[in-house]
Amino acid sequence: MEPSSPSRKRKYAVEDECNRIGAVQVGPGADQRKAASLIQLPSVESSVVGKAICLLRSRLCNHAQAHILPDAQDNKRKIYELFSETVRNGCNNSILLLGPRGCGKTMSLAQVLNKVIAEVQEEYPERLCFVRLSGLLHADDYSALREIARQLCIEHRLVFSKSASFDDNSQFLTSMLRECALSHKTVVFILDDFDLFAQMSKQKLLYNLLNTMQSKEAQALVIGVSCRLDADQLLEKRVRSRFSHRKILFNPPLADELQKILPELLILSTDSSIVDAKYVEEFNCVTQDIFKSKEMGEILHSIMAVDVSPRHLLNFLFAAVCTIDRNIGLFSLSNFKMAHAILRRQNKLESLRDVSVLELYLLVSMKRLESKEREIYNFNTIFKEYKSLHDSHSTCDLYPQEVCQRAFENLLERQLIMFADGRKSNIGIEFCPVKLLVSSYELEEGLKSSPVCPTILRQWFAHEEFK
Amino acid sequence: MDVKTPEFPCEKIAPVSSPPELFASSVSPKKRNRASDATPDDSVPFGTPSPTKTCRRSPRILEINQIHHLRPRKLGFDDATKDLSIQEREENAEQNVSGLAAQKGTPRLSKKKSNSEGKKSTVLPCTLKSQKSTSSQKVGAVQRRKFLDHVTIDRVRFSKGDDVYIRRTEEDLDEEETEGCLVCGKSGKLVECDNCSRGVHLKCARPPLKKVPEGEWLCSDCESMKKAPNSGSRRTLKTHCTTPRTARELLLASKLWAARIERIWKEVDGSLWFRAGWYVIPEETAVGRQPHNLRRELFRTNQSDDNEFGSIFRKCCVLGPVEFRSSGREGDDVFLCEYEYDCQFETFKRIGDEDELVQAKCDVSEDSVSEDEEEDETDEEGTAKNKKSLQKLPENFKVSSPLSRAANVRSSQMHNLNKVGAKVIPLTARRKAASPFERAKAALRLTATPDSLPCREREMKEISSFVTDAVVAGNGSLGHCLYISGVPGTGKTATVMEVMQKLRKGYEEKNAHPYRFVEINGLRLTSPEYLYTVLHEALTGQHVSWKKALQLLDERFSNPKPSKRTDMRPCILFIDELDLLVTRNQSVLYNVFDWPTRPHSRLFVIAIANTIDLPERLLPRIASRMGLQRVSFSPYSHEQLQKIISTRLVQINAFESQAIEFASRKVAAVSGDARRALELCRRAVEIAEARCAVDSKKQASNSKGSPAKSIFKGNLVGMKDVEAAIKEMFQAPHIKIMGRCTRLAKIFLVSMVYEQHKSGMVETTFEKIAATYTHLCQNNNEIPADWDTLLTVGCSLGACRLILCEAGFRHRIQKLQLNFPIDDISFALKEDREVSWIGKYL
Repeated sequence: MEPSSPSRKRKYAVEDECNRIGAVQVGPGADQRKAASLIQLPSVESSVVGKAICLLRSRLCNHAQAHILPDAQDNKRKIYELFSETVRNGCNNSILLLGPRGCGKTMSLAQVLNKVIAEVQEEYPERLCFVRLSGLLHADDYSALREIARQLCIEHRLVFSKSASFDDNSQFLTSMLRECALSHKTVVFILDDFDLFAQMSKQKLLYNLLNTMQSKEAQALVIGVSCRLDADQLLEKRVRSRFSHRKILFNPPLADELQKILPELLILSTDSSIVDAKYVEEFNCVTQDIFKSKEMGEILHSIMAVDVSPRHLLNFLFAAVCTIDRNIGLFSLSNFKMAHAILRRQNKLESLRDVSVLELYLLVSMKRLESKEREIYNFNTIFKEYKSLHDSHSTCDLYPQEVCQRAFENLLERQLIMFADGRKSNIGIEFCPVKLLVSSYELEEGLKSSPVCPTILRQWFAHEEFK
Repeated sequence: MDVKTPEFPCEKIAPVSSPPELFASSVSPKKRNRASDATPDDSVPFGTPSPTKTCRRSPRILEINQIHHLRPRKLGFDDATKDLSIQEREENAEQNVSGLAAQKGTPRLSKKKSNSEGKKSTVLPCTLKSQKSTSSQKVGAVQRRKFLDHVTIDRVRFSKGDDVYIRRTEEDLDEEETEGCLVCGKSGKLVECDNCSRGVHLKCARPPLKKVPEGEWLCSDCESMKKAPNSGSRRTLKTHCTTPRTARELLLASKLWAARIERIWKEVDGSLWFRAGWYVIPEETAVGRQPHNLRRELFRTNQSDDNEFGSIFRKCCVLGPVEFRSSGREGDDVFLCEYEYDCQFETFKRIGDEDELVQAKCDVSEDSVSEDEEEDETDEEGTAKNKKSLQKLPENFKVSSPLSRAANVRSSQMHNLNKVGAKVIPLTARRKAASPFERAKAALRLTATPDSLPCREREMKEISSFVTDAVVAGNGSLGHCLYISGVPGTGKTATVMEVMQKLRKGYEEKNAHPYRFVEINGLRLTSPEYLYTVLHEALTGQHVSWKKALQLLDERFSNPKPSKRTDMRPCILFIDELDLLVTRNQSVLYNVFDWPTRPHSRLFVIAIANTIDLPERLLPRIASRMGLQRVSFSPYSHEQLQKIISTRLVQINAFESQAIEFASRKVAAVSGDARRALELCRRAVEIAEARCAVDSKKQASNSKGSPAKSIFKGNLVGMKDVEAAIKEMFQAPHIKIMGRCTRLAKIFLVSMVYEQHKSGMVETTFEKIAATYTHLCQNNNEIPADWDTLLTVGCSLGACRLILCEAGFRHRIQKLQLNFPIDDISFALKEDREVSWIGKYL
């Protein structure tokens, strides 16, 4: 595998997005939050406990990461300086905000934007206009340019035509930039997932944006946001030369610092809307005790060993707040344990738990085939292995081939196995080579936890030579 | 245009601001559509102001705050226009909306606008002529207007583009004295106060001045007034200031108008008319005078209308900001005009510097025949032009469908863009870079165009000899194509543009042959074939599909006898990013390079690409047509980069000389890219600026007494700043991020390294990594995480591109690979404090 080959890179990029989308949809935090808001919204929180939980929850949701992030202040100052340079001195700039996901790139940018907008508002509101593009949505040059034209039209209250051609739109962009520069207006382009723009063929959009900024006819700022650290290396030579090479790096916070900061996020302040001072005192006391306990330290340690990004940690705390027993109204260690369990779902084990007996037989057959150094196998070979077991030990779990095939398809659907070449080919399903997606350790655990698994299957699994 | 015989009834439109006596005095047989009236008395010699000769700006401008919603249709049109077709009226209205100014040379001069104007001036005579045929027999060539380039009246020469004062009322303006020195009363070279705009001799000023000071200067009175704003002297000063004496003061007190002559013509009856593009003073704009408006500032408006020559009072001089500064404020009738003011939307817009450049592109060789009053040919040219534009009209006037009002559609773009503009001129626009750091930053910007391009003399000579040869010799020239190659940032495009600019200057000085210049960028084209459309549009002004354009161009270039006169001009086609035009069968490139070789094409191509051997990679038939004329731009050496940077920083004391050398050496070692070097230096200046700010703060807090002299050395950009900038801009961030990874991620990376050492294979699968991971953990008393967690960690590392990995759903068979050399990981994690045991596996 060659790291620099472009086709490979592109493939990775797409897969990376798959990962990400998956994460967003299945993320337990997101589910929790949604569920919580659904349940809580209708009933007005009148009790003291309700108020406290509401307060904590809103604190965790409203971008409180700012003080978790170690270099947020510094980075924000840098972005702000860049803005003022462009807005006041009419100087074109381009910059990349890099960092792992969930480390506050977009959040810092949004906070700076608010500040700049508020400042500019004093002079006159149209001094700044924004164009936001996302690499995921505006995948090709045509739609990206059309989106730019649309947003510029909205900002300047112009009529926008959907059917304008690529050429019309690009000409509109050029003349619009010029007109804006002549009337001292700054156009800010915010490109989310910058790396995907850089993977477009020819990089026409980036070239055109950055090339216009070489001339006096523009007063623009291009901000690229990307989690790929090598995003600027993706640029073509002529585009890279036009890019200013400014980068701001967003680091994840250090685990030691976080240990100190996290409890503070769950402390109720005495001067808040909650009147019951006694409750507040008790609540804070209990919370601090929990955080000092050894078990809590272990939970935190394992949480932070996986992911230290503020988003992840806030999700953890949010889940803990949501599981508070309302009758007691105080944290207990079990809340955090539960939250930990929510965040650390063991997907494979869970799905193995409710697999039918026949499916388990098939999985174990595959495992046996693999341990016999058979790299590639299809349904027919699996069925043969399955049958060989029943030939030697007559069990009551012998099913005909059709039924087995149904079970096999079920496994495919659950993605416990997958086609070796990634997709179904034209030949019948029983001839397609497949791969097992469960490790032997996980399968063993699954067999142990499964309520329906017969003893013979466990034995069969444990002893390879068992016939 | 609207010549009228006395038989026609004449009605006056009462202009909002006109005094009532005017109606009685000017019973005129003539009419204007917008400039409301003028006297019939042509025998009065110009220059002697007669009380009846007045002129009025269209009321809309005057009362802009009150009646701006009124359309000129309602106000300005008299009987004559009533006779016109409705279409004509709408067009006039349209014209007003879309910016009447239509100054020659404004890039905003869209095709449409010029057409509508052209149409107006043709339609009017036509309709009038038909009416007139009953009354006057002399219809024909005599009846037409004569368009003139300049007029000499009373030994004062007025030509197109001149700025003039215009009388507002018939009041006599007797005093025309030039203002003397405030102190001694004599005239001479005066320096002007920025507040009260009165002049003082350099030697009379207190304290005496040696040269005209840069920046703001206040006279002693204003200085004292500023210091003590409540003192009694203020009132006297003010009263003195508001008594207008000179024409300039009259103008600034809105007793006079200023306008620019856009067009001059002679009517059938011999009277002279001109089209006036109005200027307004800051007080007449919607926001009024802003504190940072200069004393002598005017705004060009997009309003213009026709006036008689008699209304001109005297010539004045309105300059752009650059000329204004260099003129040293000499003369009393000099004004500054930096912005254009849109009367309808009440917005300001800077007047683009490139006005002339754009114009030069389109009609650099529009043969400017200098006509005198007696010449009749001009007349025909005028009508010819009008006819031409009339033919084009239907294409551009498919108005009134909602689509055509959209801003991002070509046909209606210009009309819409007028809406964009600043409501107020921001204060910062007037701020000049004060500190050496700020000046250095401004000079190092990529947008700042230097006066000359150093270190490219040889290449420039080659290119300019090619271009001059092409322009002068036409088809007899030796070469038809020039191929320029070089890595990005070596000044290819800039050099060509500079050559073309020099050529244009030469043309303006009338010692060059007419030519056309078409610029096309390969990356701006939708598809390579679209080049035909763009080229054809640039040559003829018609927008057609590329197939049609190809056909027309082919005809045009192979036709030995051109029909039109303009075709004689040689055309220089400049193609940037040529490699983008390569198609599968390379037909576009073939055509582009084939046309110049045809005997009568008069086409010359300058092509730019990055690779030096692009012609060799193309088909042989294209390579042979491209010829052997090539210029290659080598990357800049460090001496050259140093020279480039230091020429930009001349007279700015912001850099240590070693720092410049260091930066240029660094960049030259990597790429020799001038853009990169400039950006690096600019960033270094910013870093130094921030450092100095911190230093001075410290200084202030530490010792309040000591002056800043002690840190003088720190006030320059030094080696350290450059190094910091290099680190920031060119160091890959992965080592830093690796050091900040989570515990699991670090162990994951180490297991990958370990696995790679063990197996010798670069690529592994997740299963193997997981096994290694568990093994490592068990050996070092670490509780291993489960596979699902490990998979998440691997995928998040993949998202940052610390490793390359396939999608996570492939689980066990997911392929993984390190994206950086093992050494980087060892460097980042060897001394790790969080997980100390991983060091031994690296």
